[in-house]
Amino acid sequence: MNHPGKKASLWIILIAGLISSIIFSTVVGSAGIPFPDVCNALLSKLPVLNKLAGPVPATYETIIFQIRLPRILLGAMVGAGLAVAGTVLQALFKNPMAEPYIIGVSSGACLGATLAFLTPISSGWFGSSWVTLMSFLGATVTLYVVYNISKIGGKVPIETLLLAGIAVASFLSAITTFLMVQAGEDLHKIYFWLVGSLSAKGWAQVEVASVCVIVGIFVLYLFARDLNVMLTGEESASQLGVEVERSKKVVLAVSTLVTGAAVSVSGVIGFVGLVTPHMMRILVGPNHYTLIPASALAGSITLTLSDTAARMIFSPQEIPVGVVTALFGVPFFLYLLRKRRKAMF
Amino acid sequence: MGEVTLKIENVECTYGTTRILKNISFEIKPGDFVGLIGPNGSGKTTLLKSISRVLKPRVGIVLLDGKDVYTLKAKEVAKKVGVVPQETPIPFQFTALEIVLMGRTPHLGWLESEKERDYEIARTAMKIANCLHLSDRIFAELSGGEKQRVLIARALAQEPKVLLLDEPTAHLDINYQEEILNLLKRLSGEKLTILAVFHDLNLAARYCDSLILLNQGEIEAIGTPEEVLTPENIKRVYRIEVLVKRHPITNSLYLIPFLTSNPQTDACDDFTVHLVCGGGTGTPLMHSLLKQGYRVTVGAVSTLDTDYEATTYLNVPVVTLPPFSPASDDAHRIHLELVGRADAVVLTDVPIGWGNLKNLEAVEVALRKGIPVIMVGETPFEKRDFTGGEALERLIRLKDEGAICVKSLNEVLTVIETLRRSCRACRGKSTQKPLSEARGRPLEAFE
Repeated sequence: MNHPGKKASLWIILIAGLISSIIFSTVVGSAGIPFPDVCNALLSKLPVLNKLAGPVPATYETIIFQIRLPRILLGAMVGAGLAVAGTVLQALFKNPMAEPYIIGVSSGACLGATLAFLTPISSGWFGSSWVTLMSFLGATVTLYVVYNISKIGGKVPIETLLLAGIAVASFLSAITTFLMVQAGEDLHKIYFWLVGSLSAKGWAQVEVASVCVIVGIFVLYLFARDLNVMLTGEESASQLGVEVERSKKVVLAVSTLVTGAAVSVSGVIGFVGLVTPHMMRILVGPNHYTLIPASALAGSITLTLSDTAARMIFSPQEIPVGVVTALFGVPFFLYLLRKRRKAMF
Repeated sequence: MGEVTLKIENVECTYGTTRILKNISFEIKPGDFVGLIGPNGSGKTTLLKSISRVLKPRVGIVLLDGKDVYTLKAKEVAKKVGVVPQETPIPFQFTALEIVLMGRTPHLGWLESEKERDYEIARTAMKIANCLHLSDRIFAELSGGEKQRVLIARALAQEPKVLLLDEPTAHLDINYQEEILNLLKRLSGEKLTILAVFHDLNLAARYCDSLILLNQGEIEAIGTPEEVLTPENIKRVYRIEVLVKRHPITNSLYLIPFLTSNPQTDACDDFTVHLVCGGGTGTPLMHSLLKQGYRVTVGAVSTLDTDYEATTYLNVPVVTLPPFSPASDDAHRIHLELVGRADAVVLTDVPIGWGNLKNLEAVEVALRKGIPVIMVGETPFEKRDFTGGEALERLIRLKDEGAICVKSLNEVLTVIETLRRSCRACRGKSTQKPLSEARGRPLEAFE
């Protein structure tokens, strides 16, 4: 916090990184679009700068705005949401193993999505949004149930929350598995939804995800100081003037809703929410005023690039984006972990 | 505005069904430095928690300036009450300055970031707590004492009116203990109210204006150190015997634990050891012998002698001399009587002058009666003689006539142990010792 120069360069790197990964991902694809056309197309949609934009062929415009860009922006939003949710939950649980799915939201979302696939509505015009809606509902209900199970005399002990989350998640996963076995021809669809994918998503999902993620991150950022102080222990935090139970409740609810929104538009994408916060903590330290925005940007970059890799490596066949995040991210993370040789957390 | 009174009324705290605190009531005035003492598990930390709005009492209220702290917001309490916890593992890589800045939390509004003024206050607090040089160090990597000082600085950065500390000196070296406590004393002089948990009763006695002694969740005693730290209170609460003395320089009270109330063994068959000592040469031996279950008598020492002082604390029968004078015939007669009843006589390497020359005579009598005599110490006889030769002559004669000479306290104990065993073998266990009623009584009983 005492090195403004270092801090400024960090922001420049992260923001430039995000912009260039968006442009790069738009350029790359089965139908190659020249770099100038991508730039012109993107510029034309920006205020003020659109006067500089040159003409773009209509087919390119369609590919960029109907196929690639929604997918890329969705990836950026989901990545940011998961990374920030992971960051604050690790702080709240004071546990490096914490991740966005820790209290069972993903299992709830999966069950919701599975139920949605098994109802006739899913094949109608409303299908895609129906699945999104149901999985979001599943996530929310799970949060509500786990929270209330853990509540003891007006307080929510973190350990109880953790255990209740794991228990409820196992229970819901069992139901989901049972339903999948019974699913018959829908099994394939359900499975691909569960492993997480950003493909074939439209602007509707981008809008939903953007609103949830941006509002969510903003609210969590308001709790940055509380989170910092709570890292020194809940008792100390309370003695330093933090309303611990209230902050815990809000942070938990908001981060879980952000996660629920992310899962409902993209399925369960692992790794981003677990490891991005750790990487950023190594780079910028534990102060949430810096850590939350840094994680958001890093999460966006990670997921945007991973998704591009997922659709390019075995093109035209796609591999699940979660596979890519793990295959490339984990070795890099382990490298950072070893290089640092200090306590991580 | 600046002064805050803390009042605790009839507080009772429970963890589950276990009652930790019961019936706690007291009041602390602005600028008081109060020590909270008591054995492990007596509820000291719990009491601090209930005052700092962390553990709501089941019964009773905690009043800060007349307001129940549990009806106030955390922020309002934190502006007035700073807490220095016992141990805070903070595994994250925060710098010391960042930790101290957290003390500004109650003063900052929603989304308000630390201003230059907050940094200034944090730095001043660190300067006061003597840890400014640690500003950029990672808190988790500091030593226990350094962490303690950073946490004190954090509490000071809250600009509190009341400071609660849970064993502020627990991890500190003796020099930092003094430094921190002097700092707290100074702050209390500037109208900061301080309530601190102490393990070290001597430090508590020295720095606190008043003490609260907790025992099993209840207040056992409350008042000035003199009123609270009595041997009776300490024995009742801690179950050990202590001497309460005054520090020779600071004049504060200090406690010396000296004897467990039950000796290690009672199997010493009333074996009585008479000590001829003086000038403090007999005290350690007196203590060791009593601890092992022997009976001890002492003769003849001056009433100004530290060995005499020890006999009064240890409740040992003793023949006394008036200061700087030789024994009267009467005293000498009693001394001879006492020697005659002993199973062994020990002569320490006390210097011999005209005042205590008659003691050697008593030792000679013992030797002639066949009572084993042990002479301890490494000081050469010539150096102990302050009578111009007479004492030297007598000491040499004692040695020649069969006194056992040993060098250390441990050797004396070994020799006495051997004597006791052989004595028990020869006299059998039924022998009645005439002194058996004498133990624990002052000498006047003999007269």
